[in-house]
Amino acid sequence: MPIIDWTRIPLFQGRQKVESDSAILRVEDLYLRFGALEAVKDVSFEVKGNEILSIIGPNGAGKTCVLNCINGFYRPQRGRIYFKDKEITKLPSHRIAPLGISRTFQNLALYTGLTALDNLMAGRHPHPAMSKEGVISGAFYFGRAHRIEIENREVIEYIIDLLEMEEIRGKVVHSLSYGQRKKVELGRALALEPELLLLDEVMAGMNLDEKDDMARYVIDVHELWGIPVVLVEHDMGVVMDLSDRVIVMDWGTKIAEDVPEVVKKDPRVISAYLGTAEAAERRIT
Amino acid sequence: MGKIEIDLKHVDTSLDLNEFKEDICPDLDLNENNTLPKVMRARVRQWGGEKIWMTHKDFGIWQPYTWKDCYERIELVHLGLVSLGLEPGDVVGIIGDNDPRWFWAEFAVQVGRGIVAGMYTDYHYAEVKYVLGFSKATFAFAKDQEMVDKIVHEKDNLPNLKKCIYWESKGLWFYEQPWLMSYDELEDLGREYKKSHPTLFDENIDKGQPDEPAVIMLSSGTTRMTEDGVPRSQMGQMTHRAVMANLIGIFKLDAWYPTDRWLSYLSPAWGEQYFGLTGGLLSGLEVDFPEEPETINNDIREIGPQALLFPARLWEARIAEVFSRLKDSSRFKRFFYNRFLPLGYKMADYVMTGKKAPLWLSILNKIGYWLVFRPLRDQMGLLHLRHGYNAGATLGPESLRWLHALGIPVKQLYGTTEAGIHCIHPDGDIDYETVGKVLKPEWITVSKEGEILMRGPILGCGYLNDLGAWEKVFDEEGWYHTGDAGHINENGHLIFYDRMKDMVTMPTGRKFSPQYVESRLKFSEFITDCIVLGGEDKAFVSAIVTVDYANAGDWAEKHRVPYTTYPDLSQKSQIYDLVKEEVERVNLYLADDIKIKKFANLHKEFDADDAELTRSGKIRRKFFEERYAELIATIYSDAEKYETEAPVKYRDGRTGKIRTSVTIKTVIE
Repeated sequence: MPIIDWTRIPLFQGRQKVESDSAILRVEDLYLRFGALEAVKDVSFEVKGNEILSIIGPNGAGKTCVLNCINGFYRPQRGRIYFKDKEITKLPSHRIAPLGISRTFQNLALYTGLTALDNLMAGRHPHPAMSKEGVISGAFYFGRAHRIEIENREVIEYIIDLLEMEEIRGKVVHSLSYGQRKKVELGRALALEPELLLLDEVMAGMNLDEKDDMARYVIDVHELWGIPVVLVEHDMGVVMDLSDRVIVMDWGTKIAEDVPEVVKKDPRVISAYLGTAEAAERRIT
Repeated sequence: MGKIEIDLKHVDTSLDLNEFKEDICPDLDLNENNTLPKVMRARVRQWGGEKIWMTHKDFGIWQPYTWKDCYERIELVHLGLVSLGLEPGDVVGIIGDNDPRWFWAEFAVQVGRGIVAGMYTDYHYAEVKYVLGFSKATFAFAKDQEMVDKIVHEKDNLPNLKKCIYWESKGLWFYEQPWLMSYDELEDLGREYKKSHPTLFDENIDKGQPDEPAVIMLSSGTTRMTEDGVPRSQMGQMTHRAVMANLIGIFKLDAWYPTDRWLSYLSPAWGEQYFGLTGGLLSGLEVDFPEEPETINNDIREIGPQALLFPARLWEARIAEVFSRLKDSSRFKRFFYNRFLPLGYKMADYVMTGKKAPLWLSILNKIGYWLVFRPLRDQMGLLHLRHGYNAGATLGPESLRWLHALGIPVKQLYGTTEAGIHCIHPDGDIDYETVGKVLKPEWITVSKEGEILMRGPILGCGYLNDLGAWEKVFDEEGWYHTGDAGHINENGHLIFYDRMKDMVTMPTGRKFSPQYVESRLKFSEFITDCIVLGGEDKAFVSAIVTVDYANAGDWAEKHRVPYTTYPDLSQKSQIYDLVKEEVERVNLYLADDIKIKKFANLHKEFDADDAELTRSGKIRRKFFEERYAELIATIYSDAEKYETEAPVKYRDGRTGKIRTSVTIKTVIE
């Protein structure tokens, strides 16, 4: 008898809302330089096991660089990154993903010629379960490979339901609107059943309705899976509503870290990020 | 009967269903099974786990439920509700998209001799409050978080509401209201209760009587408002006998078989009460539920239903979509389409009137079927369709004829909330100027003033909690006054003009129906909605049009007309030229004094949230004319532009203002 039973799915087993305050990710004195340009200057912070943490700051503040260091795209010159007390600073990105860190990209990283469903299935590929397939079974699609594929599809269908993607399931990505692609991007990140989710400007370029929906999905994922979320975001309204804590960056340094209410009033933050009219002009030119 | 008051004075309760049904549903004894739950039980005994009753696409897979599966679930829901205190005569509100669980809940309530008041999913909370509050509902079912939030918002104003049961828990995990409960929990309660009351379900089915209320049809409420400013819909109750007689009457003209599939798309707050719910039960066909309302285009192709009901605007949208895709298709394909369509029209004229077509035409049409019509119908998911119904508003003759040319048998229906469905087109007797053949001539007539009147066994048994208003819609002879204007022609078909109060007389003395002109205008792929204005105080006929955002936008892109938003697009002079052509096309059919002389493209689409439309998509004319009085005055002046600042109301109840200017275009000097 088909009933929606979230607990039946492996994704949700034993994953109640995490109450633990301990850090799941620690970043210590991170330093990243491109030639003479110092992108990230000695930034340290922790992500707790049950929070939505936002990193905000003006363009070029180094937010995305921090994410890129965490999931192994960039090699920082100095500093260490620990995930669940295991150092991951030097690991290549394809080794980091299976540990349970997945992310979305600001400029979308999807296979535009494949359907939304295929993109999600591809996102599932680094999952540890896939490595059990075996070469022969996988090549001829029988036995274990067949079974694993069906299990994977089931997980993907739950994600489709969660993100309300039924309508676009069978559509080729290049025919989708920008907002819909962002949704596919989030779905692809979730396909890995991550333990830490890094979201790089998921709301950028969206209209108000789409932003509302996306915020809803982020909350749902956070509540349902009890996983911490790191959110890099420009939209202050979204950040202040969603986040448990906010880190503010400017010119590669961390200038503030606190709960949203405090950060909002911090004069350094206001001048650096929200800025005065002249400051804003200076940044554009 | 407990708390519900009904009025059986006007409805003929002497009808013997078994005698009436003749050879329809030969395997059912309707004297023994004289209520819907009893029919259900008979069907379950007949088919059990052998035949599928409902399917629902969930997680990408069509999930089948046999009659036995459904029956067991209905039993659990029923016993769950009884253990929570459901009593005979209780009203239960349901809000959500079409879903087996909606149907199960409704049958469970019917078994308990209660009644379900359905609601449209796009209701905002004030409307939900009105329906639940006015009906004094004791329980409510809601699909998901969005629907539950509306009830949470109004809970303090709903003293009678004991529990609210939701069937999709997403986002509701951490809601702590003690009166909220999931469908699964309710079924668990039922399972527990069954241990101590193993035969209660069966006994309760036996208690039902044929002249007790079975379903509620929500009227669209085009006139009165509540203190919250929402339309005051009346809830017309129908007895088991009346609703079954209605469906049997339809089947006599238009048979359904147990092997058919029905696509459940129309809101269960409305016509689906008759078709999917009652019709599905009586005919025993399979009822299929799409995954989400948005996935209908895909799902309909996967099902290939034999029967479905779309509101007129959805038929129009599907036709517009085909037109728009034809324009993008290759010249090769368009060549064949253009060659064979006239043949299709010719063939349709024969088929619709039940005449035999000449051999040459049949052969050519068969070629057309394989080359053009079949693939097109397949694309639309309507390849197997035998009964496509249209309701809500009339479908323009052009639309109807085009569908028939492709071989898609779409039929008009005519009915009212208060008196059920009284007219339908039988196969081989389709006249696109009428809304169908009357089920029984004794049950329907037209008064001297031209108003359609009804009586007989297919009639409601009173508005819920408002029998005073019910009494007012009947005359001394017991005829129900529909308020619709029409006449019955020599073939026994009803021609529907319009609402009596919406019929318009021009200064020249000519009477005409704006709705008729509107339905012809709406055949255009560029027009989604329009309102045609006229009257004794108006020198000429004019129209206010809303353009189709998708199709007009598509056109604009192809013709390099840049635009930003809907208001911007609608005011482009090129778009005005497009609409002008459509108006001129319609003007060809109209007498000189009712030709449309001026029109304006409205800067926004008509919206039920702004109360411009009813939830079933009809225009609320009087309200519209009040709201756009200034625009209308400008149309009848010499000005060519109208500056506006229109108030808008968002779904969450907030209000705002939109400023735009609207151009007025003259078609005939």
